[in-house]
Amino acid sequence: MAITTVEHDGSHDDGAGHGSQAEHAGGLHETAEQRDHKERLALWLFIGGDALFLILELFTWFYLRALNVNGLWRGTACSKANPCTDGLGNPITQAIPKANGWYSVGVAVLLIVAALLIWAAERSARNRDSRSVIGGVTGLAVVALLAAIALGFYQFQALPFTTIDGVYASTYEFFMGSTLVHAILLSFIGFGLWNRARMGRYEDGKWYRVRVIRIFAAWIAISASILALVSTFFA
Amino acid sequence: MTTDVAPRLLEDTPLGSKAGGFYQRQSFLTGLGFGVLLAFIGWLISHATLQGSNWGSDMVVTVTMACWVVGFNVGMGTFNAPIRWALGHDQSHEDELYAAGVGQGNKRYWKFCTDHKVVGTQYLVLVIVLFAVGGSLAMMIRTQLITPHSSFLDPNTYNAIVTIHGMCMIIATIIMVTGPFTNFIMPIMIGAKDMAFPRLNAMSFWIVVSAVPCLLATFFLGGVDAGWTTYAPLSVQAPAAMDTFALTIITFVVSVTVAGINTIVTIITMRAKGMTMGRLPIFTWGSMIGSALGLYAMPAFLLVMTMMITDRAVGTSFFVAAQGGSGWLYENIFWIMGHPEVYVILLPPVAAMLEVGSTFARKPVFGYKVVVASFVAVAALSIMVWAHHMFTTGWAPDLAGPFMLTTELISIPTGIIFLSVIGTLWKGSIWTRLPMYFVYLFLWNFIIGGVTGIYLSDVPADQFFHGDMFVTAHFHYTLLGGAMIAATAALCYWFPKVSGKMFNERIGKTAFWIIAIGIQITYVGMFWEGFQGMPRRVAYYDPIFLRSNQMATGGAYLLMIGWVVLLYAIIHSWRNGKPAPANPWHAKSLEWKVPTPVPLENFLVDPVVTSDPYTYGEQVPDGQNEPSTTPEPEPELVPAGSGEQSDTGGQV
Amino acid sequence: MSFEEQADEIEHTILDGKPFFSRPAGKIFIIWLVFTVIGLLLSFYLPHHILPTLMASTGTDVFRTVVVFSVLAAPVAAFVYAVAVYSLIAWRHKGNQDEPPEDGPPMRGNGPMTVLWLTVSSVLVVVLLVWGLAVWSSQQVSHPDTLQVNVTGQQWLWTFSYPGTGVESRTLMLPVNRPVEFNVTSVDVTHGFWPVSLGTQVDANPGEVTVIRTTPNMLGGFTVRCSQLCGLYHAFMYASGAVVTPTQFSTWLQSQGASATQASQTAQTTPTNS
Repeated sequence: MAITTVEHDGSHDDGAGHGSQAEHAGGLHETAEQRDHKERLALWLFIGGDALFLILELFTWFYLRALNVNGLWRGTACSKANPCTDGLGNPITQAIPKANGWYSVGVAVLLIVAALLIWAAERSARNRDSRSVIGGVTGLAVVALLAAIALGFYQFQALPFTTIDGVYASTYEFFMGSTLVHAILLSFIGFGLWNRARMGRYEDGKWYRVRVIRIFAAWIAISASILALVSTFFA
Repeated sequence: MTTDVAPRLLEDTPLGSKAGGFYQRQSFLTGLGFGVLLAFIGWLISHATLQGSNWGSDMVVTVTMACWVVGFNVGMGTFNAPIRWALGHDQSHEDELYAAGVGQGNKRYWKFCTDHKVVGTQYLVLVIVLFAVGGSLAMMIRTQLITPHSSFLDPNTYNAIVTIHGMCMIIATIIMVTGPFTNFIMPIMIGAKDMAFPRLNAMSFWIVVSAVPCLLATFFLGGVDAGWTTYAPLSVQAPAAMDTFALTIITFVVSVTVAGINTIVTIITMRAKGMTMGRLPIFTWGSMIGSALGLYAMPAFLLVMTMMITDRAVGTSFFVAAQGGSGWLYENIFWIMGHPEVYVILLPPVAAMLEVGSTFARKPVFGYKVVVASFVAVAALSIMVWAHHMFTTGWAPDLAGPFMLTTELISIPTGIIFLSVIGTLWKGSIWTRLPMYFVYLFLWNFIIGGVTGIYLSDVPADQFFHGDMFVTAHFHYTLLGGAMIAATAALCYWFPKVSGKMFNERIGKTAFWIIAIGIQITYVGMFWEGFQGMPRRVAYYDPIFLRSNQMATGGAYLLMIGWVVLLYAIIHSWRNGKPAPANPWHAKSLEWKVPTPVPLENFLVDPVVTSDPYTYGEQVPDGQNEPSTTPEPEPELVPAGSGEQSDTGGQV
Repeated sequence: MSFEEQADEIEHTILDGKPFFSRPAGKIFIIWLVFTVIGLLLSFYLPHHILPTLMASTGTDVFRTVVVFSVLAAPVAAFVYAVAVYSLIAWRHKGNQDEPPEDGPPMRGNGPMTVLWLTVSSVLVVVLLVWGLAVWSSQQVSHPDTLQVNVTGQQWLWTFSYPGTGVESRTLMLPVNRPVEFNVTSVDVTHGFWPVSLGTQVDANPGEVTVIRTTPNMLGGFTVRCSQLCGLYHAFMYASGAVVTPTQFSTWLQSQGASATQASQTAQTTPTNS
């Protein structure tokens, strides 16, 4: 940091009153590169916390699964003579069927597609493609995200059980909810990305503004995939 | 070099009428208004659609309080920046100056203000309010316990008060140093102009503010009778108050996570030139490691409270044994959070206290590198000890030995803290001003708190002491007697910089003695109760515990008086105190090199650091070590970009 | 200063110079001695007088542990307090309080002292750990003639049943000098089964059976309290208990509905026609 000079980002004002891409909040004077470095560090810290959340979710799954050797995991031990009951006191007399894993996998695939599209947008920005190209790719990413959300909501309806049907059902739906919440958050960011792309914000070579979003999208795709695979293959 | 004609100080920049956009119209009042409005709308809709269903009231409460949190923050302007980003209408330079409080005078304390000094001051007020609320609840508890079968409180109210006293204090102690001082002082200490993410900073504050009504709402929704640890399955069965309690925590976790990320990124990326990690003041290390530990712990809290809400509102069975769930699942995940959390509470105040010790013994922090290593060791070990809270649950008896090992190991790095303090005192020139009083009190209290923790770490002994008042006395000695007293040292130390006034030491020392004696009477009384075998969290007790309870309650009243006198000292000094010089303690870290009151950008000239702030007694080359007996001249204000370096400001 | 120089410095502080007791190290030693003696006296006096009468093997374990830990902690605490007190006596700046005193020596650390400190604390930890593990494993040993007692917690009372006798009672009777194993569970929320004077406890969890073992070794009455907050009347959730002779135990079982054979088998007394 220089002692006497105050650095301003080159693209201070694009003349259309849209403000600068350099961060000026509270008097911080820094380059876009410096800001990107900070944002990526912050993102990795956040991903660390989210990864812990994921690990604990998986711990919950496997703990409850290992605990219930008596059959309460999916209720198979329940019978007329030894009924398990749902939360309302009604006896469950049959095993809870496994959920159709294709939905979770489908949601995860859509999130992977979205992440790949955002990565493509990042490369586009790096190649200084036009705003219509970057806007188009990011627009497709938003479509993929919305499709993931729609599929996620539909999945709830398509389940052969509800949350009151024991621990397998509870944990399975918790995983779905967790993926859905992350997808909704990402779609807000994705919308912003698309909107700014079509306004030409990434035309000037600031491809790393897309990179930080790509990292987040990749993480969400990975965590959704892990949850989908565990909940499908360790039912 | 900028080509604009820069105003003399950034905070004197005249702003256009449109500066700030929506921020101009938003404040605490709009936050309140919008929060209540959205909560009402949420209540209307959820009540209409869900009340009839079996899980109705839990969903209604959850949706209503979630709408309050979102609505309050929308009204405050917390989400303005992300929304503007998504819409592509970024904030202009003028908007950001407005957001930093330029041109608003004291009104900026009621608004979403990105200046870290404003956020720090706001946090200080919040912390005092939370301690007042939590402390009042504590006095109600101790009043109930004056006699074995008091009719002061009915058992449900008592249990609810015990729960909220605990949670309120947990929130308060987590933010008591990181809120006010890591925000206000740390950026200046490392030579930065603000935190890495000033808007996230303000966001973390207003989010925690919005959590407070959620916590207090529990009293109006039936009360949570499960203690602040809210073990399942009792808490799954609790009235609707438990849903707003869980939401409080979820909201609070968001705030702490955001603040923790901000702190760590600031320290790693925004240090001034020459401020290597090895020259960082110890307080910065404590803040960073405490925040990193918080990032580890908070996701667990989020998970367990989300599962609690789903168990209650939509009928999942994570914690319901009859359907395959387990209370032990709750307890494990809770304590995976809960134990690191006490070090999140402890490390920043202890680090601040080490700064105070160094300044008032006029010596470097003893064993700086070892202390930093011990902070890291404490944090790392704290991740591996959680099941010592579960020694008597019957869960995994085979793991008792390993957890006893890791827990007792933690006493080794914790002991280094004592070595550092007494090493700093050794042959020092002890300047017994008020902040130093609290350092000595910390030593006394934390030895007692720490040693009694070792009793609890022994499984056979814990089988007597678990769940009785001995545990309560132990953690009050460490958290109140240790962490909170260290935080008070930090308050008295940085008070001149934050408020611009000198703390009235006569009143402060009076408060000190009352508090010091009050702590001993109260918590020795509680140890006595615990040795005798009195369980914790009871509204009534066997008459054999009468004497010890009278002692604890008497001490509590004395302690309360002490805190009230201290509060009076704070308010009186803030309003009528002598104006403070820039460096009343002749300390050497960067925050004391800037003028008081601190300019908006902290440094008018970017500092270049050439040594750590512990050069007491050393002859630093270039004569930069000012003789400590010469009063330090006020740093001159030098316009940014003018090319001059002031003689005394900015260089260490 | 190098490590050796720092070590020499410590040695010099302790060994050389003016007579020992007129130097800082000596004076601190005296203060430390006084504090340690006070601490040791408290370690021996207090536990006996403020702990309840402990009536079982696990209780004895608690008592001994408390005494041993206190004795070991006393000199450590005393050292910290002694240095703190001495610093206020000898190194306190007494002049004008508005100005800071002259700087102290630029002592950034002392390698040998730190190593010594770490070594002593590590040794202490090892001692405490070995003690604790030894006691803990002695408590896990199963004995062949163990009496089984089932404990059920509910909001807000305890029920004790004795397998093989059909006896269910709200009072916990135990024969003296006989190992007992408690199998504890709950029918609703988590409670804490805490027979205080026996010096042990375990939670009562719904859906689980948890086990603790002890051997009562003193006759007399005791109280069972609940140590885990369990709702509205948690404070009232207690039961009476007593440690009695085997004969009295057998008699009591019969008074609760057991047959003579069941009672004598469970109490391990010879059958009588009482």
